[in-house]
This record gives sequence, C-alpha cells and structure tokens, in this order.
Amino acid sequence: MAEVDSKIDYQDKGSILAPLKALQFFGRQPVTAPLDPRPASANYRGFHLNDWETCIGCSTCQKVCDNAAITMVEVPGLPHDPEQGVRNLRPAIDYGRCCWCALCVDLCPTGSIALSREYVHTCKDAELDSYFILPDDKGIHGVAYDIGWGKHAESDLIAPERVAMQELSPQARADNFDEIVAGYDPNQAIIEASRCVQCGMCLDACPTHMNAPEYIRAIWQGDNEEAVRQIYRTNPFSNTCGRVCTHRCETACSIGHRGEPVAIRWLKRYAMDAVSTERIKAIVAESRPSFLSGKRVAIVGAGPAGLTTAFDLAKQGHEVVVYEAMPAAGGMTRYGIPYYRLPSDMLDRDVEIIESLGVRIQYNTRVGQDISMEQLRDEFDAVMLAVGLWIGRSTGVKGSDSSQVYRAVDLLREVADGQAIKVPKQAVVIGGGNVAMDIARTLGRLQRQHFGQIDVTMTALEDLAHFLADPDEIKEAGEEGIRILPARGPQEIVQEQGLVSGLRTWGVTSIFDDQGRFAPRYDERDEQIYPADMVIEAIGQRADVDLLGADLTEALEWNRGRLKVDDDFRTSAEWLWAAGDMVQGPDVVTAVANGHRVAASINSYLSIREQVS
Amino acid sequence: MSTGKELTRWLDDLLTEIEGIKVRRQSSKRLRVDIEPDALPALLALLRGRASYVHLSAISCVDWPNEEQFELVYHLWSYEMQSLVSTHTRIPREPGVYLSVYDIYPPAAFYERDIHEFYGIRFEGSPDLSKFILTEWDGPPPMRKDFDSEAWVHDHFDWQDYNPEWLRQLIAEGGGIAIRADEQRFSHHDDGRDQPAASQREPERDRQSPNTPEQPS
Amino acid sequence: MRPENYEAQRHPPSHEYELNIGPNHPGIEGNYAFKLRLHGDQVIEGRADAGYLHRGFEKLMEGRLWIQNLAITPRICVPDPVPMEVSYCLAVEDLCGLRVPERAQYLRVLQLELSRFASHLFCFGGHAATVGMYSPSFWGIADRDLILDLFEELCGGRVYHIYNIPGGVRRDMPPGFIERVSNTLDYLETRLPDYDDLLFRNRVFVTRARGIGAMNQQQALDWGVTGSNLRATGLPFDVRRDDPYLVYDQLDFDIPTEDGGDAWARALVRRKELFESIRILRQVLERLPDIPGPIRCPIPNPLAWNVPAGSTYTRVESSKGELAWYVVSDGGERPYRTHVRGPSQMHAVQVLERLAVGSRIEDVAQIMFSLDACPPEVDR
Repeated sequence: MAEVDSKIDYQDKGSILAPLKALQFFGRQPVTAPLDPRPASANYRGFHLNDWETCIGCSTCQKVCDNAAITMVEVPGLPHDPEQGVRNLRPAIDYGRCCWCALCVDLCPTGSIALSREYVHTCKDAELDSYFILPDDKGIHGVAYDIGWGKHAESDLIAPERVAMQELSPQARADNFDEIVAGYDPNQAIIEASRCVQCGMCLDACPTHMNAPEYIRAIWQGDNEEAVRQIYRTNPFSNTCGRVCTHRCETACSIGHRGEPVAIRWLKRYAMDAVSTERIKAIVAESRPSFLSGKRVAIVGAGPAGLTTAFDLAKQGHEVVVYEAMPAAGGMTRYGIPYYRLPSDMLDRDVEIIESLGVRIQYNTRVGQDISMEQLRDEFDAVMLAVGLWIGRSTGVKGSDSSQVYRAVDLLREVADGQAIKVPKQAVVIGGGNVAMDIARTLGRLQRQHFGQIDVTMTALEDLAHFLADPDEIKEAGEEGIRILPARGPQEIVQEQGLVSGLRTWGVTSIFDDQGRFAPRYDERDEQIYPADMVIEAIGQRADVDLLGADLTEALEWNRGRLKVDDDFRTSAEWLWAAGDMVQGPDVVTAVANGHRVAASINSYLSIREQVS
Repeated sequence: MSTGKELTRWLDDLLTEIEGIKVRRQSSKRLRVDIEPDALPALLALLRGRASYVHLSAISCVDWPNEEQFELVYHLWSYEMQSLVSTHTRIPREPGVYLSVYDIYPPAAFYERDIHEFYGIRFEGSPDLSKFILTEWDGPPPMRKDFDSEAWVHDHFDWQDYNPEWLRQLIAEGGGIAIRADEQRFSHHDDGRDQPAASQREPERDRQSPNTPEQPS
Repeated sequence: MRPENYEAQRHPPSHEYELNIGPNHPGIEGNYAFKLRLHGDQVIEGRADAGYLHRGFEKLMEGRLWIQNLAITPRICVPDPVPMEVSYCLAVEDLCGLRVPERAQYLRVLQLELSRFASHLFCFGGHAATVGMYSPSFWGIADRDLILDLFEELCGGRVYHIYNIPGGVRRDMPPGFIERVSNTLDYLETRLPDYDDLLFRNRVFVTRARGIGAMNQQQALDWGVTGSNLRATGLPFDVRRDDPYLVYDQLDFDIPTEDGGDAWARALVRRKELFESIRILRQVLERLPDIPGPIRCPIPNPLAWNVPAGSTYTRVESSKGELAWYVVSDGGERPYRTHVRGPSQMHAVQVLERLAVGSRIEDVAQIMFSLDACPPEVDR
C-alpha cells in the first residue's frame, strides 16, 4: 500500500524509463463505455411496472408520492367491486415529476407496483407526451424488463399485522355472559389507526358508506370527539355496530389483501367508548333542527332501521313516534344478539342518544293489537314498518311440532328479556348460521351455570367450509365446547313417551341441484341419532306481518311472501314504507343504510306534501 | 487535562454565572441554552473567550408566526471540549432586527446574510446584507411561514399538458382521469381531515389533458 | 461645457477590470459565479455569487411528510449525497428516539465511506484539471464509476441513492456484494500508486499547488473552516472522532493532517483520507457477515407518522467538511424547520473570497477546487 508523504522528494527527476510505465494501460480494461446496452442492477429503480391483476386501484401510491407524479385513471372493463375492495382505477406516472424514490412501491398494499430495470427513454420535444405513461406489466416501451425494485419484506412499509385484541379466554367466558371482547386501550387504538392508508375502500364497501377513513384518522390524531362526529354522519347505531357489525369494510380493506385488515370495527367501538354519552349527545345536538316542520311520522319497530329513520327525521325537524312492542328498544340487536357479544347497556347508549334528539318511543305497544295500522295512517303523515324477522322458521320434520322443539329466535328473545327458560341437559341445534351459534353458545353457558357442564350439538346442512356463520363464531363456539357436526340433514325429531329424546339425521351429499335451487340430497345409509331433551331450530326467519290487518294486506303488493318495495323502500301504498330485516335482512348495518334511505324518501315526500297542500 | 465529565460540569457551572439564562443538558455533547436577546452577545463572547467555543457551526432561524417571534439559534462547537452548545433566543417578528455577532464570530456574516435574505431579519453591524442567493427575487422573504411557495408556483407556472394516445383511447371508451395528481397529496394544503375519501368524489371525466389546474378548492 | 456643469466622473483605475467566472465554467466546481476584480493578473477582490442551484429545499421539506423528504435530501449535495441522507435520518431518529440496528449502522458507514472516496476522486480530478492536467479527472471519473456501480447494486440508484430511511436502511446487501466491494477496493488500492505517479508526485502539480490559497490555523478557525481544509492546517479535527455517530467509535482509523494549509496540503490530506477510507471499508466488510439482524427498526406507517416535538442538531463528516442539520419538529407529520449547514457555506463564500485576494487569476480555480467548495450545499 503506497503511502504518500508530504516530504515527497519532488526534486527527483525520476528514471528515464518512467514514461514507459504508461504502456501498461494498453492491457487494461476500460472502465465504462460498453457497446451493448448496459443492464441495470437487480434492485434498480427504473421505470414503473404495474400488475393490473393484483392492483386494486386503492391510490395509496398516489398519496405517498411526494412530487404529485401519479394520476389515477379509470380504465373501463377492469373489475370494479367495492365489496371486495377492488376499483377499476390504475396509476399513471408523469416522468416529468417522478423522482424514482420507490416509496410508491414500498407502500403499495398489494405489492402490484414495482420499478423495473429499464432506465433509458429519449424523445424529442414534440413527443413529450411519452413522459406520461400508464404502466402495466409490459413497461414504458412495451418491452418487459425484469423487476428492479419491487415489493420486498425488508423495504415494505405496510404494517401487515393487526394490533391484537384482548378477549376472554374460553375458560373465563364459558359459564357467564360477560362481554368477550375487551376493546382497545388508547395506545392500541392509535397504533391500529395508524395502519390505515386512507384509501376509502371501506367507505365504498360499507352499506351505509360510513366515513371510516375520517374517523380512523381522527382516532389517530387523538381526537375521539371528532371521530364520533364523523361516525354519526352515517350511523347512529355505532355502539352496536362497533361490536357486532358484519364489517364489509374490513373485507374490502386494502391492507387486508396481503395482511390483516385494519380493525375498523374495533376502532369504531373504541371511539364510541372513549367519549361519554353526555358528550355524544352534545355532539349530536349540533345537528338539531332549528325549526319544526309540523309533520308527524310513525315508525313501527324500534330496531336499527326504525331508529335510524327516526334519528334522521328528527334532525330534519319532523315529529317522530316509534311504536315498540317489547319493553325495550333495539329489536333483534337486543332480543337476538346475546349479551356476551353486545351488552345491552351499550345498546341502551345508542337508544338514549337517539332519544335525546326528541324521538319518542312508546314501549309495550303492539301495532295491530294496541293500535291499528289504519289509525297510524290517519294520525300520521307517513308510516314506516321496521318489524324485523321475528318468526323463526321450522324444518317441518316429523316431531317438530312438539313443545320441546323451539325456534332459536324465541329462546333468545326470552333470555334477553330476562325470563328464565328451561335449560336442557342435552341440546341439539339445527342450523349453521349466526343465530344458531348465538343460541348454541347461550345454551352452553346456561348449561354450565345450571349443570356445571355443557352438552350442545349443532348440525347443519353445510360442510364446515361453507357454514353461514362467521368464522370467528365457529372458532369460539368450538372453544366453548360446542360440538359442531357439519353436513347433516335433519329427518325426524325422535320422541319417547311424548318427550323429545333426540334428532335423527342423515348425511348430506349435496345441498343445491344443478340449477342452484335448494334441493338437499341425503345418504340414507349414513344415519345418526343425537340424544337431546331439547331441539332448537335456527334455520331462518320471516317477518310477522299480521299487524297489517286483512284489508291492508290485501291492498299492498307482495313479492314472494315479502312486501314489495321500490328503491326507496316505499310500498305500493304511498304513505307506507318498509325497511330493515323484513325487506333486506338480516344485517344490522344494512338496516341502518335502509333507514337513511327511508328517511330521505319520507322527508322529500313530506316536503312535497307541504308545497302541494 | 480535565476529563470530559469535568469539563462539562465546569461549563454548566460557568453558564450559571449569567443572569436570565436557562440551561438544559441534552447529552454529554449537546447543551441547550435559552437566553434573552440582549444577553446573547455577551454569552457568545464568554463562550468564545473563556470556554474555547471558537467554532460557530451555524446560525439557524425558525419562524414562529403564532407567537410572533423569530427564534435564532447559534450553534457553537468547541474543539477542546468536543461538545456543542446551541444558544436559543427569540426576537419579535416585527421589526425583526437584531445585532450582528460578526465581531465575535466572522463566519456569522454568511448566516446573517442568508437569514436576512430568507427571513427579512436585519442584523445591525453585519458587514454585508446584500442579496446573495435570490438576487432577482423581489417578493417577500420566502422562508417565512406566511409565504406559500406552492401557491406562488401555481400562480406563475402551468402544469405540463399531456395528451398521450392511451389517454385519448380511454376517454373514448368511457374512462379517463379519475383522481388528479395533486388531489390526494398529504401536502400542506390538506391534512387529510376535510378531504373526502377517494371514492366519494365523482370520477372526473377530464376530456382535456390531465393535470390542467383547476381552481384550488 | 460650462465649468459649473462639470461633474467629475469616478472612473475605476484604468489598470483594474472585472472578470466574471461562472456560472458555467470548467474552472468552477458546480454552478457558481465568482466575480473577480483584477489588476493585471492579480486578484484584488473576489465576490462570490450564488443562487444558480437554489431549489428551495428547506422550504420544500416543510411541506412534505417526514419520509417524503428522503427523496430530496440526497439532491442537496450532488457529488456526495450520502452524508445528507444519513444526517437527515440521524436527526429524525434522534427526535423520535429510534434505535438503528447495528447492521444498518455498518451499512451506513459503508455507504458513507464509499461516497467519500468517490467524492474525493471527483475533487482530485477537478483540482488537477484546474492546473491543466486532464488525465486525473478522466481517471477519477472512471474509477468513481466503479463505486457508482456498487451503489447501484446496493441502493438501486447510482447517484441519488434514497437508500437510508429513519430507522435504518431500506434493503439489505445483495448476495456476493461484500466480495464485489472487496474486489473494487483491491482495484482502487492498486490505482492509488498510479494517482501518485500521475498527480501527487508530479512535479508540475506540486509546483503549481504549493503556496496557493494558504491559510494558517488561526485563520482557519476564525473563518469557520472544517473538514480536510482544516486538517490541512495541522489540526486533527474530524467529526467522526470528536462527535461520533453510527459505529465510528468502534472503527480504527487515523486522522491525517498536513501543515501548510495550502492547496497542496489539502490535496495531500484528501489523498491520505482515501487510504483511511479503504481502511475503514475493509473493517466494515470484515465485520458485516457476523452481524445479523434487521436492517431497520420498526417504524410507523409513513402516512401516519408524527415526530415528537423538539429540535436537534446533527453533525456528520462529509467529504467536504462538517455537515450539520438543524431539524425542528412541532409534533406534526411534517418538519417544522430543516436547516442544512453545508461545509461549503463557509468554504465557497468567505474563505474563497479571502484566499482569492492576492492570488493570480490562473490560481483562482485551483483555490476553489482545492477547498472542495460545492455550490449545491451553499444554495440548497
């Protein structure tokens, strides 16, 4: 290693052969100037590539681009399905502004966009349009170069894992109705909210288009009141939805395409829990009307659909009276969903806040009994039906008319109403949906409380992969000791001496025929009998429309057993609307969405009436 | 030769001799001093003379319009003590005048000229406050928080007009520009709060070229 | 003309004239103008004129998210972009309290030293060209290209690396990279004697460079000179030793100095620093395989990242001198103030102006290059 000293003898003239040293350079390789195009390195940041199959059009790349180089372009013909979180938008890059920093690549939730190893592009002034490209997998010039800087675990800036939610363990929850989910603490909520990239897929997918990006952002900023304000723009049932919603938002979440979706439902719950009921009432009161219209609207059923309509109409200055047959409001959310999933005092908060706008709920008043539909039609300017689906269907198999065969909705209603039910020692539940899970897990708890052990069997036509219930419910039910037997078809409820003794089932070979119609086929050789002293049917529900009365039932139009309604949920009678589970259920957030629709329709109807008369 | 610890303690003691000073040691090599503007030159002279802080690394200026103040930070480094002292002082935004410390630290001339040009602060006694970098600029001092450089750019320059073949074809098929490049930036124009999420906007069928600026909302 | 209307015109002395060098001039490093006032071929006064490379970075950074600024930090100093990136990241890490994993720290030192080497090669080339010797500049650019190839492999970009991120670096080394770096270092080591023969032992160069732009220690300290220029006056001050950052306190290297403080001494100091850089790089390459681990600590979602309020002053040793960043955060998602203190802010302005006085016109360019004065840092 030749060192150079400042005491260099620069007087030294050197030897006469010194110039010959230069000859060595003839043998050396030049450093640069290859004749062939020079290939770029393996993780070079060249021009963009985008895999259109993987890209979902979430526009997160556009958000993180610091030079405003990305434009989102609508490409007709590409899949556009808000519920799956896919848009037909694709990014177009302006190379006059792009600096090739690859932040778009690192932040892309799906990993579709990448930078290639192509780096040469020339054009004349007249061809400047060539700087603005819509990259697909073939690159700027249509020559597919390899990917240079693509999605990589080391540089990935998306946080794929959700903040874990604390829940009661199976042992801790098996014999009580305590709420299973603990909720986030402020730290967890802020961290979880920070995972959101504000793409808005959740907003698209939500039936009532909740402003989830806005309230998630507000939670992240620590402003829970603003979050509540954003939540109430579209959903006055958020203590409820924050616990039991079917979270289409999370299905559509762009982070969920490769990682776990942002916990949008738990964040909604966090914001609603974090602000006191009094404060929420004050926030909601900001939208109190400054005048009253003098119009009166009757709503039958104080469930999510009915109360959402009531909330909206009250904000628009109309007088609203809600007739509720049960002693408390909430509909299926109180009388169908068990306490361990949705504590009723949380639901009470939602109802209290809605009532604080001046909505009057008359409990223990059954329309069709205590007051007729005709009376409502005469005393009110508009009427809405939101009576839900409260009649449980029966399989109709032999023995299903026994007194020890129950419908799940009836039992759940009694439990929620605080009534003591007969707890069976051995129960068999027919059905594989969420309601079946609810009754099975409720009975399991009651059995542990009464007998110290559980014996609940669930059978359903579907195999486990196609169960209609939420995967979480299936998992938790299994943890709690419920025996789940898929692909069994009920044939007979066996009775001995007038008492139910078991359920006889055959194996299911197929449920639907070639045309997709419901036509289950069984394997008669695969017969099993499950002992039980109570059989509960949870195979579906229908609406109780007896309240309409014979004349009105005759006058209205029906569509295969359900009331026929138009896009605004108006029946064929111009003063009557119907929405919620009875029309489009069963689903809470859909009912809320329906409720908004109905309120808008009623409001414009009432305004028109005002002008005309 | 004193050890590093002793020197830092000596320095901390030395500084307590001065009135109206707030000292906070952030680490072994970083000390923060907050002082009134009147007392700053004396502090600098003290640090240079007695404490061997011969190197003025930089003078930084921070604009605090909400508090109507400019904050001047003098970063001094001592080769002997191998530690940095950052002296912070605040001057009122109006009239934005202060003393030059050129007589204590000759490198200050550059920074004072720079701060004068970009913030508009006059340093009395600085040898040369003529324009240096922005010689053809006649607008307000641009680093001030009330000068919006992006708005200025929008007013004076046009976005590039592009009209490539693929875009024309897409528009013919019924597609087109859906979200313009500057609509969703996390820039200082929107902090993400009032901006509706992407989907709530009507997709814009921009029949002209993309990136034509519309009036900023 | 009536006598009472006569006004004496103030003419400059007829033997003085003004010459404007730059902003596009091979004798100027970068885009920079230097207005000289000459008496014959003797410089009486020099005034620097900057602004041709002002891109407004400090203002731009206030309007962008913390992570978006990574894309523009390397552009502040073009020949030696890595210290800019690293010092910004160090500042953000300091404000956030992030702890950079050891592997990432070594990777950062690797980048920094390679960048220093490349920058010095660039500087020699320029310095030699100002005295009319163009071969060293061609050699310098060519050899620097090999280093840029290494950067391309590691970072995905040759000049603007955008490779450092607060919390670490973005990608790990590709397989076989250590060997390739080692081979390149071997090659560069064999080149150093060639450079010595061509340039440093070259009597022409020595004669031209000695005595030019001389300053003594006291002047250097008074004028705020840092880096190699300061070491050329005999003071062994180096930010890597005095204010250590990353893992420099665990690496073994010397601080070369020279006496004389003239262009020759500065060139020699840089030449010695090349050797020290190779030494540091060899140690890094030796240790890297045994340091497993992540190359970045966990960081928040860039779109939802608030840096806690506070301010910090980070100093690193770039090839040109002491580079420092003063970063102020108000607790938000964008910097409140970023102030870049580039070493050339002293060297290219006051020091250059003072040293030019009394020199001859043919030496002005040499003074600027020997100071390694880099205008993008001045203008930002």
